[in-house]
Amino acid sequence: MSEQKQVKVHVEDVNKSYGSNHVLRDISLDVHPNEVVVMIGPSGSGKSTFLRMLNQLEMPDSGTILVDGYDILDKKTDINKVRENIGMVFQNFNLFNNYTVIQNVMLAPVQLGKMGKEEAEKRARELLETVGLADKADMSVGSLSGGQKQRVAIARALAMDPDIMLFDEPTSALDPEMVGDVLDVMKDLARSGMTMIIVTHEMGFAKQVADRVVFFESGKIQESGEPEQIFNAPKNARLQEFLSKVMQA
Amino acid sequence: MQKKGIISLLAAVAMMFGLWQFASQPTAAADEPNYIISTDATYAPFDFQDKNNQYVGIDMDILKEVAKRKHFTYTLKPMSFNAAAQMVANGQADGIIAGMMITDERKQVYDVSVPYYQSGVAWVVKDGSKVKSLEDLKGKTVALKTGTAAATYGKSLQDKYGFKIKYFNDTDTMYNDVVNGNSAATFEDMPVISYAIKNGMKLKVMNANDLGNAGGCGFFVKKGENAQLLADFNQAFAEMKQDGTYDKIIAKYLNAKQSTFAGDKKDNNSVWGILTSNKSAFAKGLWETVVLTVFGIIFASLWGLILGIMGISQNKFFRGLATTIIYTFRGLPLMVLAFFIYIGLPGVIGVKIPAFTAGLITLILNEGAYTGAFVRGGFEAVDKGQMEAARSLGLPYGSAMRKVIVPQGLKIMVPSFINQFIITLKDTSILSAIGILELTQTGTLIVARNSQGFRVWAIVAAIYLIVITLLTWLSNWVEKKVR
Repeated sequence: MSEQKQVKVHVEDVNKSYGSNHVLRDISLDVHPNEVVVMIGPSGSGKSTFLRMLNQLEMPDSGTILVDGYDILDKKTDINKVRENIGMVFQNFNLFNNYTVIQNVMLAPVQLGKMGKEEAEKRARELLETVGLADKADMSVGSLSGGQKQRVAIARALAMDPDIMLFDEPTSALDPEMVGDVLDVMKDLARSGMTMIIVTHEMGFAKQVADRVVFFESGKIQESGEPEQIFNAPKNARLQEFLSKVMQA
Repeated sequence: MQKKGIISLLAAVAMMFGLWQFASQPTAAADEPNYIISTDATYAPFDFQDKNNQYVGIDMDILKEVAKRKHFTYTLKPMSFNAAAQMVANGQADGIIAGMMITDERKQVYDVSVPYYQSGVAWVVKDGSKVKSLEDLKGKTVALKTGTAAATYGKSLQDKYGFKIKYFNDTDTMYNDVVNGNSAATFEDMPVISYAIKNGMKLKVMNANDLGNAGGCGFFVKKGENAQLLADFNQAFAEMKQDGTYDKIIAKYLNAKQSTFAGDKKDNNSVWGILTSNKSAFAKGLWETVVLTVFGIIFASLWGLILGIMGISQNKFFRGLATTIIYTFRGLPLMVLAFFIYIGLPGVIGVKIPAFTAGLITLILNEGAYTGAFVRGGFEAVDKGQMEAARSLGLPYGSAMRKVIVPQGLKIMVPSFINQFIITLKDTSILSAIGILELTQTGTLIVARNSQGFRVWAIVAAIYLIVITLLTWLSNWVEKKVR
């Protein structure tokens, strides 16, 4: 147990199929505290599915997943408790349409009894300040731009004080001019020491922020390593091919 | 706060239910037996409503006299003949008096009194019709009333004369079908048709001197039950015959002018006259319709919400259950469901279900199934990402539903709810079939008395439109508040 405390996320031999489509094959990965892991790879390579397994939005067919030492596939584990410690940011933001900006951020802490209403509101305003949206607190989420929505989504995920953050292609649905603001917030978060697992197509960002880059292809981790090595000296042929395509574009 | 509101609303509804049930209890002296007697609501001169909305007729006067002489009280249940007869057959009512002919077939199911009126089946065409004999009916349509002896007689002639048959549930609609030329002829008991013709129905009896299936009308109870009631009837009837009471009753109805029971001409020849002379009847009918609609809407919505939430549950069993319930009750015609609950069920479970309760349960099950279907659809229409986001924050399924999915789903459903409210209001009219005296049944009774189909139905239609307009305004106002 003490050994596993050292790793935030421990994944071993995970497999997942949708019918005859084998989307994840024998995936094993450890993520350490304060580490920023960026997952890259072509669409359909399984990286999003893998990310969604870490908080059980998807169930693996076989394998082991430990988060903070908890076996999340064990029926006895209270998955809701584990999820409180894992923030997640989605490609399509998924802000709650029936609430204002600040209500989105406050909902979970108040509902789960983590804070009183006043304290939660104070904390929510601080978080909105951090992502640069303090002035939008009382607006409806429909009136925000995509980039603003994604920053609110990050604030919402942070409201439960998680110690791991998952990002599922957080900038893919954004207009290009909005991408920078969101990435800046994520960089600040990385600098603050948050453990982060990020699925993205932003190679520049990966180079800059990642402690480790993991390349997914055909449901397998083909290669992983420090960004320097992955981007400048890729060994795997498929990674080389992928990078040449992405860098051209 | 919200929870408290819902609880107090439910309590209020339950209380009103109780009051209503209490108010509808017949007041009976403790030592006198009380019988439930069913009858046909539209069968002059045997049974019909007069201008004061009282049930009168040969049957009603005889029954009243028997009850007085034999010291019992009774609760009258007027409805369509067929439903009235079945109520006795399955024990929902103790007896039926409805100008009902004594036949061998009926003796299998019922015990019957001595005949209290001699009658027979007449065949009838429109005044001035070209049909001169039964042979002329070949290929034409004949109107019959469901479950009557006259209908059985008419049916027995079908093969011989080659006519088509169309069935009706009430006498007046059937007559009008012949008068309007939709049907070429009808078969009906002689006294009933004579009374209608005398009161201005433009029909002609073709076999006055040669009635079919001549026989007597009797008072019926379920076979093997209520022997005391039957003996009382026979005894009192013999007395009445002897002391002349019976002849007086017969003369009262067969020699009466239409105005005696139906009101003056001026009350019946204009929309305004009909409206004012029947205003208390219309008001009562409207009230019943509104009460049914309001309770129907409230409970069907609650039931529909439960079904809808079950329908998107994570539990396979609940999902299957919701699907089955929705499928079943959406598939059943409202009237079939009403008959099943009101007439069918009590025979099996041995508990009498009042018509209003049966009607309300019918509405709740039927409208609730439709509501359940669109509630489920509305929840499913909420983006899947909303649930994922809520769950990823650590919210349990229940809170995620309550705080995120349900509020958004309900917003999507508002137009469907309004639509369903209007349908519920209109569907209450179908419950007239089990004798609930709502607006449509009120219209039927008034037409049976004054034969003013066009004007009465125009009034009823107008009332429905007004209420639906008000309901739509109210719903739109609520919709604006919600959004």
